[in-house]
Amino acid sequence: MDRKNILKWLKEPGKMGHKYSLWAVYFCTGCGIIEIPPTITSQWDAERFGVIPVATPRQANLFMITGYVSVKTLKAIIRTYEQMPEPKYTVAFGSCPINGGMYWDSYNTIKHIDKYIPIDGWIAGCMPRPEAIFIGVTKLWMMIDKGAATGYIRYRKNYKFYRRNQEKLFGKLPWPPLYPVDEKENKNG
Amino acid sequence: MVIKIIEFIFSPFLAFIIGVFFLGLFRKIVARIHQRYGPPIIQPLLDVIKLFHQKGFSHGALFDLGLILSLAGSIVVVLFIPFGGICPLKSSGGLLVILYTMLFLPLGIALSGGEGANPNISIGISRKLILCLGYEVPFLLILLSTMSFYRTISIVDIVNSQKNFHWTLFSPLFLSGIAYFMILPAMLGMRPFDIVSAPQEISSGPAVEYGGKYLGLFHIQHSFSIFIMIALFVDLFLGGGENIFYFFLKMLTIFFIMVLIHSVFPRLRLEQALRYLWKWPTIFAFLGVIISKVVR
Repeated sequence: MDRKNILKWLKEPGKMGHKYSLWAVYFCTGCGIIEIPPTITSQWDAERFGVIPVATPRQANLFMITGYVSVKTLKAIIRTYEQMPEPKYTVAFGSCPINGGMYWDSYNTIKHIDKYIPIDGWIAGCMPRPEAIFIGVTKLWMMIDKGAATGYIRYRKNYKFYRRNQEKLFGKLPWPPLYPVDEKENKNG
Repeated sequence: MVIKIIEFIFSPFLAFIIGVFFLGLFRKIVARIHQRYGPPIIQPLLDVIKLFHQKGFSHGALFDLGLILSLAGSIVVVLFIPFGGICPLKSSGGLLVILYTMLFLPLGIALSGGEGANPNISIGISRKLILCLGYEVPFLLILLSTMSFYRTISIVDIVNSQKNFHWTLFSPLFLSGIAYFMILPAMLGMRPFDIVSAPQEISSGPAVEYGGKYLGLFHIQHSFSIFIMIALFVDLFLGGGENIFYFFLKMLTIFFIMVLIHSVFPRLRLEQALRYLWKWPTIFAFLGVIISKVVR
């Protein structure tokens, strides 16, 4: 909280609220979650920036994808992401969600997470230190200020693209796919 | 007449401000005990502002109405509580009205949460109602002892008869005061008794399906309930207050001790909590009833 920001608060209370009270959902994928406990506890206190972990996706507006994402985890990630109220921000954490990282040739992990859900910011590293998380959060503040963190709008607009990628990945579904892939497309890739 | 109307508007507003301030102070003190810097003291207010700008999900008409019922019930209770000279509704039966209207607080949340149809909500609500059953027994005995000690059911008269440091806590009735102090963490939902909103076990209990503005209303209701529980203790046992400042100072002291208890103790299980609540506070409150009969 800065005294210079009072005018901004009066002008756009909603935007400033989203900025200074980011609630992250408790969701761990892979090994990156090991960097979160030092970040939120006494050593690097994330609560001074208004970042706290909450237990349910209904209350959260920040989603951190920490570490590699297997196909099975992706289903849970999508379900959690779609339950969060808008506006919501996602940050991919570590090098595995960016390009596969050390699991680049694994048959069971996702290489590019932004094909399946929209990502607002990336924090590179294996693992990124807690300082890097704070830099990521401040970058996210800048993006919210400029109105550039629009992942949830992209998800709504390009829902066909995301849904098709998800259904293609999951293969055999217990329900008929919403956007079925033609056989021609299937052969090509 | 104009002063009366101003009191009606001013009193819930002040209660909300104090409740939100206490929530912020709570997070700050806990952070300092953890040797952290902690959030800014107005952080709960920022959270509420954010929540009202988020999209919320409703699960039906009762989901909205139950929450509003709980909030309205807490505002009505605030109007009956004398607050450092301010008391918008000075009825002669104030304590009984408070006693019955206070039931709306957990029942409204239960009604609203039940519509959410989440298994965590049902567990949370059953825990909340059982905990209510636990602390209502000593609470009723405490109120009975104070009512029979002062021979009145008006809370304003009880406050008035405690003037000039004739506090109930220093009278023969001090056992009831101790009993109230022992059940206060359970009424506030703080740490030895935070089994209702256990985020690690049942993902924050009844609040699990609330999001956006519904969670904002839930937070406002929580801040009101913190104000009500502590203000009632100050009114009944610490002699109210000559003006708002002294009243606030007394509330702050009680709340500070509660936060210290919160940050030290671990969470009890439900049956442990019930065994505790029906044993020591109930014994003390019962002794208080006997003393009030013997003395008068």
